[in-house]
Amino acid sequence: MMVALRRLALVALLSCAGHALAHQFHVGFVDISFNARTGSLEVVHTYHTDDVDALLGNLYQRQFDLSAPEDQAVLRKYVEKQFWINGADGKRLPLTWVGVTVGPETVVVLQEIENTPLARAAVIHDNVLSDFLADQTNTVNINQTVDGKNSVRTLAFSRQATEQAVK
Amino acid sequence: MSQLRLLPLVVAVALALPAHADDDILQKVLVAGSRASQLGVADAASVGSVGQKQLEARTVYRPGELLEATPGLVVSQHSGEGKANQFYLRGFNLDHGTDLKTTVDDMPVNQRSHAHGQGWTDLNFLIPELAGRLDYKKGPYSAQDGDFASAGVAAITYANRLPQNLATVTVGQNGYARAAVTGSPELGPGSLLYALEVLHNDGPFVHPDDYQKINGVLRWSEGYANNGYAITAMAYHGAWNATDQVPRRAVDGGQLNRFDTLDPSDGGSAHRYSLSGVWRRTTSDSASKVSAYVIRNQLDLYSNFTYYLDDPVNGDQFSQPDRRVTSGLNASHTWHAHLNGMTSDVSVGVQLQNDNIFNGLYSTRARTPLSTTRADHVVESSAGVWIENRTRWSQWLRTTAGLRANSYRFRVKSDLAANTGAARDHLASPSFGVALGPWRDTELYVNAGSGFHSNDARGVLTTIDPKSGDAVGSVPGLVRSRGMEVGLRSEIVPGLQTALSLYRLDFDSELTFVGDAGTTEAGRPSRRTGIELSNYFKPIGAFKWLSVDVDAAFARARYRDVALEGERIPGAVEGVGQVAVTVDPGGPWSGALRLRYFGPRPLIEDNSVRSKASLTLNGRLSWKLNRSTKLELEGFNLTNRRDSAIDYLYESRLKNETAPVADVHFHPIESRSARVTLVKNW
Repeated sequence: MMVALRRLALVALLSCAGHALAHQFHVGFVDISFNARTGSLEVVHTYHTDDVDALLGNLYQRQFDLSAPEDQAVLRKYVEKQFWINGADGKRLPLTWVGVTVGPETVVVLQEIENTPLARAAVIHDNVLSDFLADQTNTVNINQTVDGKNSVRTLAFSRQATEQAVK
Repeated sequence: MSQLRLLPLVVAVALALPAHADDDILQKVLVAGSRASQLGVADAASVGSVGQKQLEARTVYRPGELLEATPGLVVSQHSGEGKANQFYLRGFNLDHGTDLKTTVDDMPVNQRSHAHGQGWTDLNFLIPELAGRLDYKKGPYSAQDGDFASAGVAAITYANRLPQNLATVTVGQNGYARAAVTGSPELGPGSLLYALEVLHNDGPFVHPDDYQKINGVLRWSEGYANNGYAITAMAYHGAWNATDQVPRRAVDGGQLNRFDTLDPSDGGSAHRYSLSGVWRRTTSDSASKVSAYVIRNQLDLYSNFTYYLDDPVNGDQFSQPDRRVTSGLNASHTWHAHLNGMTSDVSVGVQLQNDNIFNGLYSTRARTPLSTTRADHVVESSAGVWIENRTRWSQWLRTTAGLRANSYRFRVKSDLAANTGAARDHLASPSFGVALGPWRDTELYVNAGSGFHSNDARGVLTTIDPKSGDAVGSVPGLVRSRGMEVGLRSEIVPGLQTALSLYRLDFDSELTFVGDAGTTEAGRPSRRTGIELSNYFKPIGAFKWLSVDVDAAFARARYRDVALEGERIPGAVEGVGQVAVTVDPGGPWSGALRLRYFGPRPLIEDNSVRSKASLTLNGRLSWKLNRSTKLELEGFNLTNRRDSAIDYLYESRLKNETAPVADVHFHPIESRSARVTLVKNW
């Protein structure tokens, strides 16, 4: 708990400091958890809307309305190119696109891998936004339940570290 | 409390804060124009950006009309389709583009010292499907823009990548047919953008335009627009017959159909080939951009505006061939700094351009040369260096200050020794702007600046009128303009973007090169004052399927000196407006209607002869057959009005007339016509 509180304080501090150094502060969060009810591995990405707007604007030189299904396809194409999970055999697990929700501050992308326990995930590749923003850091939280207790393993991805082992 | 339960809170805290709240200036550098709202970003009320979706939704009869997305700008045609359009903005008849700087991907479209018209802006090579964005500015308030930017700037950016490949086929009335295919496959580390377009159009004319166009773009790009590079090749070829303006007396007297011509051999052909590259590097505290281009343009143009006035035997047809190679380099660097809650950008740039031009003016009959009025080899070189500071002093105060220095060298080798020579001219143009935003959704702007346009190099060095043999005084190379503006932008009503500008623009001299005569007319000093209102309404919530544009602009243009002939500026448009309604409920159907009002113009200095206003209603109905196929029906001039696209007052002589007659000469707007388009995406 202390670790989490420290992290909360740090992030809050960075965010406030970011008011002066805003352009130096680019973060994304990915939450990976197993849904026992559906048997699927769920992946939830959260990014700054401004960053996603800037990314797509610089990729396509135009604006998109991410609330429109045809425009969501460009974000899907990008995320699927930049983020994947490999199994122990080195093959990509079949991540399917569930959807995206867009707010004024955040873009949330939902993906899932059907009928897959967390144990099958061996390696995560995450280069979302970090190919575009040199200082982008993506924090991937892997939520595990061991013996009825919840625990979180956190991995930090950046342009320098795009691929990491889950265990 | 477990770590897991804390995590959403951490995410919420980290992402809910406005991490980019103070980053608008850098954002502008990073992704200029990617914002729908210009609040907190723009330097003036008359600056704006039109996105791909708005451009795509426009019903355009010809590609140049895409520029009409700029509020207050009217684009028309007074001749065959392949000719450069006629532009009107801020109380100017901009002729073929003088005082409106147009660029496509940083390449200048305006051709200086052009055979037919200074700043000749032929946009027929524009492929609308590739246009990702149109950025516009009005008034000379930016150090970054030099020649021809006094009335405004329209900059079109082509996309490096397209979300989907596209094939489209259009057939329409009056011999219209168009097919285009575009795509941008990812190949290895980059993307290959391609586009190919073929088009045919006759127009409603008795003597069909038979305009034939083939047009292509090929671009290799790597990386992002702000951190990457692109190399682009373009090629365009067009050939057409022209129905030039006709005298009203002949139409009123029943001798001539209003869509007929008096010289069916008028017309021309044009080629444009270009190779260009752009490289950009952006970090958190700096941005660099270098672009370079080589453009080969060639025009053959045959016109006859006065019929048998000068030559009762052979007629007055003349040709104005122009072939040129334009090469140039634009480079800029921006430093971005945060200081005690302020942000400040300092940008410096250099713009180099060289034009190697062979052009001339010849008397012809049915496109066969009869005699040479003048033939010239022009080399025109220019350098512009600029520095601009943009500072956000606080949340409610921003300033822009810039200085630009321009140096031009004109060299002309004419067939007449007296008109051969070299000259230089220099000019410095400062600009300054303040944006005040003490309110949440409203900003005030004050802008002042100086701009210029160059004159035709031949006019600068002409001492003997090649047609009459009379001595003429030389004209300056560069003509200064001075502008000032107060403006307001508001989004106080949710979904409504409103901008209001009140401006004044002075020119030292309305100098124009009369390409049709081969001389420069040193005009009188002028002043334009005007008011512009633009509204873009896209409701949020239940009515998000609707968007409405309402723009209106009024201008008062006068010569500043006193002369017996009067103080009106012929052709200066007094009022323009448009109302556009776009409906897109998200289902298979969508549509748009657009009413354009093109106001009256005085045709002579004493205002005794005036043109009437014209009114055009265009519409579009679109039906999505499935996710990848769309059928569109477009209608032009739906009310079938018999208005003029342009009116001139001058003397002409018909073959059966014994003396010249001063008369209004007009070119009609196209009669009602429809086009059907099938679009396939994949």
